[in-house]
Amino acid sequence: MKIIVAIKQVPERDAQVRINAAGKWIEEVDLQYALNESDAYALEEALQLKEKHGGEVTVVSAGPERVGQTIREALAKGADRAIYVASNDLGSRDALGVARLLAAAIQPENPDLILTGLQSEDLGLGQTGVILAEVLGLPHASLILHVEKTETGLTVKRELEEGWFQTIELPTPAVLTIQSGGNKLRYATLMGIKRAKIKEVRQVTASDLGVDVPPVVLMEGVTMPHKQKSTQMLGGSPKEAAAALVEKLKFEVRVL
Amino acid sequence: MIAILPTLAEPQSFSLSEKLLFAALAMASVYSFWNLFGRILNKILQSKKDSSFRLFPITKRIWDFFWEVLCQAKVVRERPLPGLAHAFVFWAFCAFALVTLNHCAVAFGIGFLNPAGEFARLYFYVAAAFAFACAAGILGLFVRRFLVRPKWLGEQLSYQSGVIALLIFVLMATYLAAFFVTDAGPDARILWWVHTLTLLTFLPLIPHTKHLHLVLSPATVFLSRGGFAQIPPLAGDEDFGLVAGADLTQLVSLQAYYCVECGRCTEHCPAANTGKLLNPKEIILGVRAYLNNLGPASDQPLLGKYNSQEAVFQCTTCGACEFQCPVGIEHVPILVGLRRGAVNTGAWEDEHGGKLFLALERGSNALGLSPAERDKFIEKQALPIFDGTQEYCLWLGCMGGYDPKGREIVTAFARVMKFLGTSYGVLRKEKCTGDPVRRLGNDLLFQQLAEANLETLAQNKVKKIVTICPHCVRTIQEDWKEYGAPPQVEHHSEFMARYVDKLPKQPSEEKVVFHDPCYLGRYRNVYDEPRKVAALAGDLVEAPRNKERSFCCGAGGGLAFLGEEDGERVSHKRAAELVATGAQTIAAACPFCNTMFRDALAATGESAPQLLDIAQLTARGLPE
Repeated sequence: MKIIVAIKQVPERDAQVRINAAGKWIEEVDLQYALNESDAYALEEALQLKEKHGGEVTVVSAGPERVGQTIREALAKGADRAIYVASNDLGSRDALGVARLLAAAIQPENPDLILTGLQSEDLGLGQTGVILAEVLGLPHASLILHVEKTETGLTVKRELEEGWFQTIELPTPAVLTIQSGGNKLRYATLMGIKRAKIKEVRQVTASDLGVDVPPVVLMEGVTMPHKQKSTQMLGGSPKEAAAALVEKLKFEVRVL
Repeated sequence: MIAILPTLAEPQSFSLSEKLLFAALAMASVYSFWNLFGRILNKILQSKKDSSFRLFPITKRIWDFFWEVLCQAKVVRERPLPGLAHAFVFWAFCAFALVTLNHCAVAFGIGFLNPAGEFARLYFYVAAAFAFACAAGILGLFVRRFLVRPKWLGEQLSYQSGVIALLIFVLMATYLAAFFVTDAGPDARILWWVHTLTLLTFLPLIPHTKHLHLVLSPATVFLSRGGFAQIPPLAGDEDFGLVAGADLTQLVSLQAYYCVECGRCTEHCPAANTGKLLNPKEIILGVRAYLNNLGPASDQPLLGKYNSQEAVFQCTTCGACEFQCPVGIEHVPILVGLRRGAVNTGAWEDEHGGKLFLALERGSNALGLSPAERDKFIEKQALPIFDGTQEYCLWLGCMGGYDPKGREIVTAFARVMKFLGTSYGVLRKEKCTGDPVRRLGNDLLFQQLAEANLETLAQNKVKKIVTICPHCVRTIQEDWKEYGAPPQVEHHSEFMARYVDKLPKQPSEEKVVFHDPCYLGRYRNVYDEPRKVAALAGDLVEAPRNKERSFCCGAGGGLAFLGEEDGERVSHKRAAELVATGAQTIAAACPFCNTMFRDALAATGESAPQLLDIAQLTARGLPE
């Protein structure tokens, strides 16, 4: 099985983000980066499929030079080779632009399966994978927790709301966007990192790929979330207060 | 005076056939000894070189050799009675070197100790005294092994040891008996032959049994890796720890062969004492069996048939085994080496371990919490931020920064520092020192954490660190060295002990028992300082196992993060010992011990003593 995993490098979850001077994105200086979480699960699913059925796992990632570190991490965890789409202006592209870039890099590979994370931890659009499928003209399914190869194609488990799941069948090639939590992630090992040094990373640019489309969606600005505290004191006897609390948890917060 | 006492009888002349027979038997004995011993020596020499081994400074080696081998200090100190019996046997063997050489030379008429001469007579008497003590000693050891049967010697009786004991006894008895016969009679000749045959039987048995330590352990005490529980750096791009035979270094192979199987390591092991699979003696013997069957060039995995992965990951790295070992086996580097082999190649799969690694790959602390939690704590306690002007950087560590109980310790210690007028600050950003992943064998993650922290400390121009966590102290001072020069670091017990005269003594008759944390005691040799501090709060009492023999809380070696243990919990066993001292207060000096005992004491019920860190005990006496 020939599998491509599209991965994205995002600011580390613990990073303390500040808005940059232009007010249109976060300040990137001093930020630590990591592999997007659901992409890590997409990679894990790909590696497990390869371990079961053989084949090859190739990661593809676009971005500035720092992306190289995340690519090496993916190679260390077991991907066979990588395609690095060098691009310093990724921020000015919309989801369609990024999907077109990735599609152009993936197309010549003729993969059986393309996996990517459900959404990124920074922008959280959840669109790139789905648009990628459209651009490539392939069937797709989103929110996937588990993939199984069958005689004719794939059987996948989708997550629905409120603990419901859906099992669907797809032909290959196909694009799947993977939900976090379906597998146990493997840890990076010293041997993996050492072995990754000799694995192939092919570098391409947007102009090599012949993709140059102006964005249709423009980022107007980003703002920090407003902190607000609204404490309500529930009065009365303990019994009345408890009843009022249950009422609120049930109908206002809707957690019960 | 000497002249009227009998002297050693020896046969006056030997016939040619006797000479030939003796020469042939001696050659066969030596050949038989060398046949196996040479093969063992080859296996050791063919093992990988220890690239980090340095012979110098040699003075400590000479001292260790004198103290531990010649004086038998450790053998006697840690097990006084059997230790003394062993020492007598050892000293007798030393004294007998000359006697035995002369004994053999006599057969060819070239004996150099004349039993009638003054020096030889005196020497023979001294040797006789040793022989007497040795015979008594070996008899005692025989009784211990075959009648008393302490369980640490193993379930199976070692008949080899019985045979060896018998041979040693016969050697001594025949030597002593020769004082009571005359040269001329046949008795002297019979005694000579019995002594000789015993000797020639004994020699080839040495490499076949644990008595190999007679030959090897003096060398190995001298050639120890140095330091305590020192984890050697990996050598080159293809070294992932102890994966297969080819990774065994000469020191590891040497240690595997000279284990005397005394079981002291197992007797003191917290895992072995709470019904777990791990038995440190068996780990060493597993490596020996591997070397015997597969040799040092094999690519068969070390974990599997000969040693169990499960057992290796039950070690708390408390170091009790290594501390106790009378022949200088370094168990901790071997156990951690086997873990490295499993983790660095991805062979170890463990739900909790994987979670810990991922938490530290993606985040900053072993507890897997957001650093914002640490920020909130710093803000709430108004801890000053380190800006280069203060004397100390107060290192919080994962427990001090994120664990509720650890935070109480930090807060108390901050009060003590404030009271003493010491300037300090905490870092805005801090990552786990890497202690749990270092001990679990994840070198990649450890390197990343060490390098990131070293960079932060350099940027902040930190010169001196003080911390409440002995694991942080050890890791910063010893383990980070591989990746840079760490700042000076000390444990808060050492800091407070320096100012003990300025800290208020609490007028209290409270009985306080201090629990020695492994990483402060055995790892750092700090025993008196925390006691001085704890004594401010009341009257100190001691647990039966204390100082060097302190029993682990169960948290070390990354085990605090590996979930529920098999068998009895180590922390419960230790907590019960501390409770049994009748103390009203248990004084701890490590946030990991603290958290382990907190859970263990909660299980003992209402009457449990209170549990406080020495910083909390000290802060209690400070004016509000």
